[in-house]
Parts: sequence; structure tokens; C-alpha cells
Amino acid sequence: MAASKVKQDMPPPGGYGPVDYKRNLPKRGLSGYSMLAIGVGVMCFGYWRLFKWNRERRRLQIEELEARIALLPLLQAEQDRRQLRMLRENLEEEAVVMKDVPGWKVGENVFHTDRWVAPLTEELFNLRPREELPHKRFGFLWYV
Amino acid sequence: MSSISVSSAVLKGAAHHYGSQCDKANKEFMLCRWEEKDPRKCLNEGKKVNECALNFFRQIKGSCAESFTEYWTCLDYSNLAELRQCRQQQQAFDSCVQDKLGWERPNLGELSKVTKVDTSRPLPENAYHSRPRPEPNPVIEGQLQPAKHGSRLFFWSW
Repeated sequence: MAASKVKQDMPPPGGYGPVDYKRNLPKRGLSGYSMLAIGVGVMCFGYWRLFKWNRERRRLQIEELEARIALLPLLQAEQDRRQLRMLRENLEEEAVVMKDVPGWKVGENVFHTDRWVAPLTEELFNLRPREELPHKRFGFLWYV
Repeated sequence: MSSISVSSAVLKGAAHHYGSQCDKANKEFMLCRWEEKDPRKCLNEGKKVNECALNFFRQIKGSCAESFTEYWTCLDYSNLAELRQCRQQQQAFDSCVQDKLGWERPNLGELSKVTKVDTSRPLPENAYHSRPRPEPNPVIEGQLQPAKHGSRLFFWSW
């Protein structure tokens, strides 16, 4: 048998190196306690940020509410004037409409008391075109 | 008497300064409204509130119009007119107003303090127009004992 001159894929000279076949499960990384500590630490940090931001939000909310407090007298005064003007117009219309009805006192109070009774929206918008009432009732909505 | 025809963002932007400037008229009107419980009796105070507000806006228009316009345009951009989005313009407006008119923006919590109002209007008695109250029941004579053999309504719970 002659030595073959064909190029073959042979192992390297000196054989292969040692092969490790034993179990290799190294202990690495953080221990359980420290991972728990890190988790708890991150949560505590998150809570602290949350509480700080909530306090800041409360301050912002107080500021917005104070803006409303400052504006309330103006809005209330204007609304009072508007309501009284509408009631006055309704009264005059009523005097015109019920002129010929016997025994009708114009502007008679429907209650047995003297005090101011807040007029209903329907009462105020009684003699106006029908489209104005939904605008007044549903025109401003905080939520849908 | 002319009404203030401005939009909501304008009012909200100027609210803090308005609360500290027009404080007297506002508080008198609210006191009158709360005591009398009748808008017809508070028309004079309401007129003073309106005049004060008109004066206030006239003063702003006179001196700090541009910075105020920027401020309320910025407020108008968001749906709820959040004050925290427009801090820069608020700073500019505040400094302008402080320089020219000497107004200071009230700190947090000053507008929600409870105040005492000094008025010349007398306190109304019987603001609710209530009818005279009925007489109290006459005093029961004799010794009152608990019922013999317990309550007769023991088995009925309604």
C-alpha cells in the first residue's frame, strides 16, 4: 500500500487538545437577596418620585381652582343680570299675551312665598326659539 | 352697563391678578349674594364688580397688551387652558405688570383664604322668608316609666 498523495482532512499534528466533558455550571451574578434589595430600591425610588409629582400636581390643581375662585363673582354677577333681564322680557311678553284673559295677574308668583326662587331653564327660555334651549342645557359639558 | 366680552382663556390668564386687584368689590358682592340669597338685592354690588373688572382690563390693555396677548394665546392652545404649559409667557406678563403697574401675583393659597368683609349693608333677618315657626309641644306632666313587659312592637321592625 503506497502512501496516498491525496489531500485529506487529517487531525492537526499532535492530536486534538483536551476536551472538557465535566459539568460547568459556574456560580455567577448577584445573589437573591441583593436582587430583591435592588428591586425594592427601584420601587422605593419610584414611589418617592410619584409622591413628589403628586404633591406638585396638587399645587397645580390649587392654582387652577384659585383662578376659578377669583373669577366667580364676575361670572355670577353677569349671570344674575342675564337671568333678571330674561325674566323681565318674559314678564312683558306675558303682559302682552295674557291681556284679554280675565282674572290673570301678570307676573304672579306661582309659590306661596316671597323669597327668590331660582328660575328653571325651561322657564327662562319659554318664549324663545326652540333651538336655544339645548344650547343652554348642553352647550358646556365637562364630559361626554 | 357694558359687559366684559372676552373669551375664557383671557379670563383665566388674568384671573390671579384680577383676584388680588378687584378683591374688595368681589368679596362684597359674594357676601351680599350669600346673605340675601336674592340676586335682585345685589345689583349695585354687581355693578361695582363689573366696573372694577372693566377698569382692570382697561389698565392691562393700556400697559401690558402684547405680553398679555401672548400669554392668553398660549393658554388658548390647550383644551383645558392649563396654566402649567405657559410658564414662560406667564413670567413675561408678570414682570411686565409688576414693572408698569406695580401689581404682584398672589402666591399659592392666598386667593382661597377666608376673609372678613366690612360692609355698610345690614344683615337681613329671615333671609329665607320662612313662616313663623309652630309652638313647641307642651311639657309632659307626670313620671315617665319604660313600658311594662317591654315594647309592644317587638316583632315588627319597620
